[in-house]
Amino acid sequence: MRVLNLTVNGVNRTVHLEEGRVMLSSVLRDSLGLTGVKVGCGTGQCGSCTVVMNGKAVTSCTVLAEKAEGATVLTIESLSEGGELHPIQQAFVEADAIQCGFCTPGLIMRLYALFAENPDADEAAIAGELDKHLCRCTGYENIVKAAKLAQEKIRSGAVPVAR
Amino acid sequence: MTLKHVGKGVQRTDAVRKATGEATYVADIVVPRMLHAKVLRAGVPHAKILSIDTSRAESMPGVRKVVTGRGCSMLFGTCLWDQPPIAVDKVRHAGEAVAVVVADTENQAAAAVKEIRAEYERLPFVLDPVKAAAPDAPIIHERNGEYRRVEYSVHPVTGGNIFHHYKLRKGDENEGFAKADVTVEGEFEFPISSHSAIEPHGAICRFGSDGGIEVWASNQAPFVLRDVLADMFGVPAAKVRVHIPYLGGGFGGKSDVSIEPLVAYAASFVPGYAVKLVLTRAEVISSSLVGRGMKGRMKIGAKLDGTFTALRAEMYFASGAYGDTGWPVFTVAGHNCTGPYEFPNAIVDVYGVYTNSPNVGAYRGYGHPEGQFMSSRLIDMLARKLETTPEELMRKNYLRDGSRNALGQRIKKSTGDLFGCLDAVEKALAETPLPEGDERYAYGRGVASMMKSPKMAANSSSCCHVQVNTDGSAFVNLAGIEMGQGVQTVFSQMAAEALQIPLDKVRIYSEVDTQFSPWEWQTVASMQTYRGGRAIQDACCGIIATAKETAARVWNCAPCLVTYRDGECVHPNTGEVLTLGQLARGYMAEDGLTTGTPLQSVGSYRVPGLVEPDPETGMGNAAGSWTFGVQGCTLRVDKQTGEVKILHFASAFDVGRAINPTTARGQVTGGVVHAMGATLMEQILFTDEGVAKNVNFPAYKIPRLHDAPEKQTVVLLETPNEEGPWSAKPMAEHPVVAVAPVILNALRNATGVEFTSLPVTPARILEALKNGKEVL
Repeated sequence: MRVLNLTVNGVNRTVHLEEGRVMLSSVLRDSLGLTGVKVGCGTGQCGSCTVVMNGKAVTSCTVLAEKAEGATVLTIESLSEGGELHPIQQAFVEADAIQCGFCTPGLIMRLYALFAENPDADEAAIAGELDKHLCRCTGYENIVKAAKLAQEKIRSGAVPVAR
Repeated sequence: MTLKHVGKGVQRTDAVRKATGEATYVADIVVPRMLHAKVLRAGVPHAKILSIDTSRAESMPGVRKVVTGRGCSMLFGTCLWDQPPIAVDKVRHAGEAVAVVVADTENQAAAAVKEIRAEYERLPFVLDPVKAAAPDAPIIHERNGEYRRVEYSVHPVTGGNIFHHYKLRKGDENEGFAKADVTVEGEFEFPISSHSAIEPHGAICRFGSDGGIEVWASNQAPFVLRDVLADMFGVPAAKVRVHIPYLGGGFGGKSDVSIEPLVAYAASFVPGYAVKLVLTRAEVISSSLVGRGMKGRMKIGAKLDGTFTALRAEMYFASGAYGDTGWPVFTVAGHNCTGPYEFPNAIVDVYGVYTNSPNVGAYRGYGHPEGQFMSSRLIDMLARKLETTPEELMRKNYLRDGSRNALGQRIKKSTGDLFGCLDAVEKALAETPLPEGDERYAYGRGVASMMKSPKMAANSSSCCHVQVNTDGSAFVNLAGIEMGQGVQTVFSQMAAEALQIPLDKVRIYSEVDTQFSPWEWQTVASMQTYRGGRAIQDACCGIIATAKETAARVWNCAPCLVTYRDGECVHPNTGEVLTLGQLARGYMAEDGLTTGTPLQSVGSYRVPGLVEPDPETGMGNAAGSWTFGVQGCTLRVDKQTGEVKILHFASAFDVGRAINPTTARGQVTGGVVHAMGATLMEQILFTDEGVAKNVNFPAYKIPRLHDAPEKQTVVLLETPNEEGPWSAKPMAEHPVVAVAPVILNALRNATGVEFTSLPVTPARILEALKNGKEVL
């Protein structure tokens, strides 16, 4: 049986992979119980399964588990440890950017990676990242608002964005 | 009384759980002794099953059972029992299930599915509903007309593929058109599309050794699902337990039943074990429920002054392989196709037709977008013919106090203010002048009005259970499914308002479980705020009455003398108070002597006086409520690329009362973008062999951020009425109803091209611009 070693949300994990194609999303959800990772399409198009791997936002449903060997992965579960919401999460709540909530964790992780790399990302850069996601409920208006609000919160230094 | 919670844009009760990823959806659920299922789909649209060889699959690692339809005699349904849980002797669409592998893991099940060999004798297939209704069409159901059905509602035409014919006969067609000075007519098409909720359908089912059935599902209708499974397997409904977690979007695609009978059928072969199936995106698009699928024609007659005299329409719906989820949509499409206008004569025929495509079911708007697409486009054309504006034509013919709609119902002032909605949209759009066109861009503006009524069984109700705790907090339990629309939030607000207690003292249910949840018909037709809200009011009245009775016993006075305010009973003379918390278990004196009963109450609400449309006239009191609205847009067409950009989309709905204006706005902004997809990009396409081909994103394209309007204006009018709780009326599906005609009217304005079918893709726009007219 294949073995995968990786660091997820700051903890070293060893996962035994079953036969056949196993995706990172499955490792996170099925092996590690991190169900905040949502799978909406399985082809990397909807963005719901987005996690941060080695500092970059990736759609975990298109990353073969083997490719995550030795990687550092952050999921939505890492953002509010201890019960306090991360500013991006807080912004989504305040801006009414959440309806069914299925696309929400992926969007939040995408913005987490963006703002970690560039806290001053401009409107076009933010829109470019959000455009990688599908939301069927909100019409995107409040998601854009939430992203801008999150950026303001981070800039004002409420909580350091990178752990 | 001043409202403290109703009408406030409070934060959603589920927002934090969803922002943290804690919210549980069906795919997240793991139960003990759980196996995984994968499905072999037919891959051919119409065929006799000759053989299915499962022997190799059965010997694959981890495989517990391979289930086929051999020997299955079950048909399930709610009003028309025409569908087996899995294909038995023939397949009727390419996405139909022919075998299910149950294995220890999903990968093992998927590997085994590949080893199943099915042999078919292909039959001629038909996808087009008009062709399918023709006498020489291949017969998809040999038993059409013989299936068990609710005879008053479902009207099959035996001998062909038409399994439901709804007819509306208001007035007289010939008389109506004889009075007309001008007529307009056209042919229209609203293709099959996918709801595309981002959460795929999923279900888990376990048959207990005691004969009970337990289900976890992404489903909008737990009690319907319970009753369907009970009927299928011949067990008492009380022995079927259905759990519903959060839904990652529904839009009707998870209403009634979809994949659950298949999962339950497979699970029945491995009693004691749970079987889980979560669809792939390709299966969602090709093998769950889809929407629309209408081809139709309509003719409208009017006098020179613009007064409508007659409407004649025919609609053919490609309902797919089975009809139970389709027929009510088609009935509604018929009696609503007039739009919010008075037609003294309206003659409509709607045909639900079996086709070799996925089943059509409820889809946000439920028949209204299909029918009103035609009337709203024709009114735009008629205005040009009469040399007036569409707005003036609308105002001339709007339903108003005293007019009669197509069902024959009398409209009251309290039904809603169309004139106010139109004023609001005109004002919003006029804020920015329509830009002048140039070499590259053409600009246009379009407007359309809409109405919508909820389609429901005449006996459909909501129930609510409220339980007050000794700290004065209240647990409020209903069975409205939270699928993103925000039902739990508005329920909390309404309960806090009715009990006059702080919002944070109300705790709403977090999942629905038919074992503990009060009965609810189903979460469809935008009815939860309206119907559930009345049930909350009823239950809270019960709490207050019980509190007053107990307080009156304590004070030895008549209950009617006790005043209730802000969560407290007040003594009529002394002003002494007893709080809800003090009365929660009855009132207990210091010595323990207790009087009164626990503070809990059950309330319910059924929209009164409803009937099914009369089988001959199609009329009657079939709609319990109406919501009116007007939408309009300003758009830009890129003449080089054919791309359309919505610069400003304005919507105004008379919602009676917005219980939560913030989340209500979210329903509108989201609905508009959702329907933009149907208008400009979405359609399930089929290969020449009749197999759905664009079954994944982005081949099946739905709107992304860059497709959204640059600006949206949302105006919510609040005409008082006696129907809803605090006047609140259904409003969540409504933003999709008029979007297609709004955009197509604006495209006509920008380009001079009359588009009458969807989606209007950039390629079609370029082609039409090149030819100077629309090419169908």
